[in-house]
Amino acid sequence: MSDYILELNNITKNFPGVKALDNANFRLKKKSIHALLGENGAGKSTLIKIITGVYNQNEGKVFLNNQEKSFSSPNEAMNAGISVVHQERNLIRRFSVGENLMLTNLPKNNLGLIDYNTVAKESKKWLDIMELDIDPNTIVSDLTVAKMQLCEIAKALSLESKILLLDEPTSSLSPQDTKNLFALLKRLVAEQDVSIVFVSHKLEEVFEICDEVTVLRDGKNACESEQITNLNRQKLVKLMIGRDEQIIKSKKNIDFTDESLLDLQSINTDLGHKNINLNLKKGEILGLYGLVGAGRTELIKCVLGLDKINSGQILLNNKEIKIKSPKDALEKYKIGYISEDRKKEGLILMHDVLSNAGITVWSNLKKILSFLNDSIVYNKVDPYVKQLEVKTPSYQQIVSNLSGGNQQKISVAKWLASGTDILFIDEPTVGIDIKTKSYLHELIIELSLKGTSIILITSDMPEMISLADRIITMKDFKVVGETINNHNYEEMSSSIMGNIHE
Amino acid sequence: MNNKIPNFVKTNQFGLLILVIVFICIFSFSTDGFTSRFNIYALSRVVALDIMIGLAMMVVILTGGLNLSLGALGVSAAMFGGWCMESMGIPISITIILVLAFGSFLGWINGFVTVRTGVHSFIVTLATMSIYFGFMTLLTEAEAFRKLPEAFTDFGSLKLFNKYISPLLIISVLTCFVLYYIFKYTDIGRKLIAAGANPDAAELSGISVDRMFIYCHMLSGFLAALAGIMLTARIGAAIPSMAGHLGFDWLLPAFLAPVLGGTLLSGGKVTVFGTMLGAILVTLINNGLYLIDVGEFWVRFFLGIILLGAVLLDRAREYFTVKNSIVS
Repeated sequence: MSDYILELNNITKNFPGVKALDNANFRLKKKSIHALLGENGAGKSTLIKIITGVYNQNEGKVFLNNQEKSFSSPNEAMNAGISVVHQERNLIRRFSVGENLMLTNLPKNNLGLIDYNTVAKESKKWLDIMELDIDPNTIVSDLTVAKMQLCEIAKALSLESKILLLDEPTSSLSPQDTKNLFALLKRLVAEQDVSIVFVSHKLEEVFEICDEVTVLRDGKNACESEQITNLNRQKLVKLMIGRDEQIIKSKKNIDFTDESLLDLQSINTDLGHKNINLNLKKGEILGLYGLVGAGRTELIKCVLGLDKINSGQILLNNKEIKIKSPKDALEKYKIGYISEDRKKEGLILMHDVLSNAGITVWSNLKKILSFLNDSIVYNKVDPYVKQLEVKTPSYQQIVSNLSGGNQQKISVAKWLASGTDILFIDEPTVGIDIKTKSYLHELIIELSLKGTSIILITSDMPEMISLADRIITMKDFKVVGETINNHNYEEMSSSIMGNIHE
Repeated sequence: MNNKIPNFVKTNQFGLLILVIVFICIFSFSTDGFTSRFNIYALSRVVALDIMIGLAMMVVILTGGLNLSLGALGVSAAMFGGWCMESMGIPISITIILVLAFGSFLGWINGFVTVRTGVHSFIVTLATMSIYFGFMTLLTEAEAFRKLPEAFTDFGSLKLFNKYISPLLIISVLTCFVLYYIFKYTDIGRKLIAAGANPDAAELSGISVDRMFIYCHMLSGFLAALAGIMLTARIGAAIPSMAGHLGFDWLLPAFLAPVLGGTLLSGGKVTVFGTMLGAILVTLINNGLYLIDVGEFWVRFFLGIILLGAVLLDRAREYFTVKNSIVS
């Protein structure tokens, strides 16, 4: 008997025109945490979908506990003890924690009605195993993002899952929550006989928690069940992207005594920001760091006029301005905002590349009687789309058909085309592969060198420290610290975390 | 994909065109008088109106909303026109301008209330439908205006192209071209579509979504008022019940034409010529079934079935939204 709980041997999966997986192997040891890595499009999600029964492989075999299996639906896989915790929350927000945990098997009383006492008792059992201090009667939407994540794992456990697939579980968690999650995962592996497949773009986490690593590149194994101790970050990145990673650092000299370009003075908002003061110099990258819920994105939206500023002043070049809407910001003050949520707020997924890339410049390009045709827009945006190396078959391609990295490039391209002086960039590289990520980093630095002033919101500490010139820390809708960045990771991160946990 | 097949063939409109031709063939062979000069002329008068009504609904569907007040609004505007001409003696040309402005104003009310309250336009226009129609009935005391200027009513019964085609159809087709131009070749048209497709993204890209939605409703009111004038010219009088109680008679063609034509009910995609073809198809089926003499209720039955089919088609379309362009 081998000590593998799950084995996938020589898996090939074809889609029309693409070989998503090409003879790929994946072996998960019992009671281990196994990282599954790869760039976007490398075949990770296809592999996961084969494990969970969403797809069937064209060639190759799947063994569960040494028995050949083939799941024809996610339900079958779930019954066999395989659960996935997705990036997107799969909880029903208006239901209580208990109801969500017991959803597939709600206990009933003699009258055939739901027995809420048992719901609470049963779900409490799983919450206790996870040492989670949550009342099962809490409504899910009242939980923090981190707790929702943990509830999802509790839900998977309640289905008696022995294999947990975690897809980017930390993307919306604070460092502290991440630490708690990892402690929990380790305990689950040790005490509950659970094996975990861990998918993440954050390599630091992989080194922290995983035992073995499988890397996919272009549908093939770049490495297979490699011991994590045999690898380091550099080797891992090379396996993933097929070449060495370039580390980027901004090497600018900003004179922080210069006059500010944009100045927020004692801003109080409807959303609860208290006495926010911050200023942005010309050509500076000002980082806004904080945990999820610190009010950073909300602050930007207030500045853009989407929510109300109750008191305080916004100065642009020392003149007070009132921004009524993003339209106002763009057209009057040349301020743009690259949203963190490219699918909902950044792009119009059902429209084509040209209209997405051109949306910010239509007003400027229109001729008499509001006339505007595709070639006028094309001439304007083409240089930027080319510069960003967006991979698309044509400008008529619907954006939802592009990869995440290319979508993000388009949501950046449209703001480059608009030629704004100030750009608010919100979480520019969430869920983006390493190649595109370093590309976007270079671009942000280049932009600032050319004189664009940038406020950068990111929860990715390494990203913040490599890009920002100055870092403002926010917590609970207040500014709690300001540090000039010396690009030394250890010093900066401890100083920032110090600000947050003071 | 196979590039040898022209893109047009893959579109919804092409399928519609085939359907239109198939129905024309069926009805030509199976009925007497379908191709007669009289019938074609009658068809052109009906289809002109259905196109206009379909377009009026289409521009609101673009926002992901609906305009149930379409019929009530169109009739109210038409009654206003009748009053202008008959009671006030205002010249025809000025009356038309006033009516269109009035229609746009009623549309503005729909849009303004929808945007300000955040209530779905379905509810808002359900209310305004009742308000407009009720108010109109109150003011006119349900009396028709039958003594309209001859020049106006003559236009409605004018016969062009060897007496086959009504000038009303020309107005509708021209309107299609104008709308196509607006959506395809103007800044404002693109913004209307973008706002309809994803209001959040459009707003953050510097588009005033509220204003765009109000424009859509105003355009809808404008087109409905135009339809009202055309109907008045066609029957030679402005009658409160000319679109049925509360304007209900307009609703079925209003939905059928754009939905058959390929406009997405969730918004963000318009098909001007699809709507035109959709309207033609509906009118054809209507007319053909009458000629086959299946009876009034069967016609309604079939139109209901077609609407249901078209909505299912819409769901499928949303799923495959698609290699077609946004304006077509």
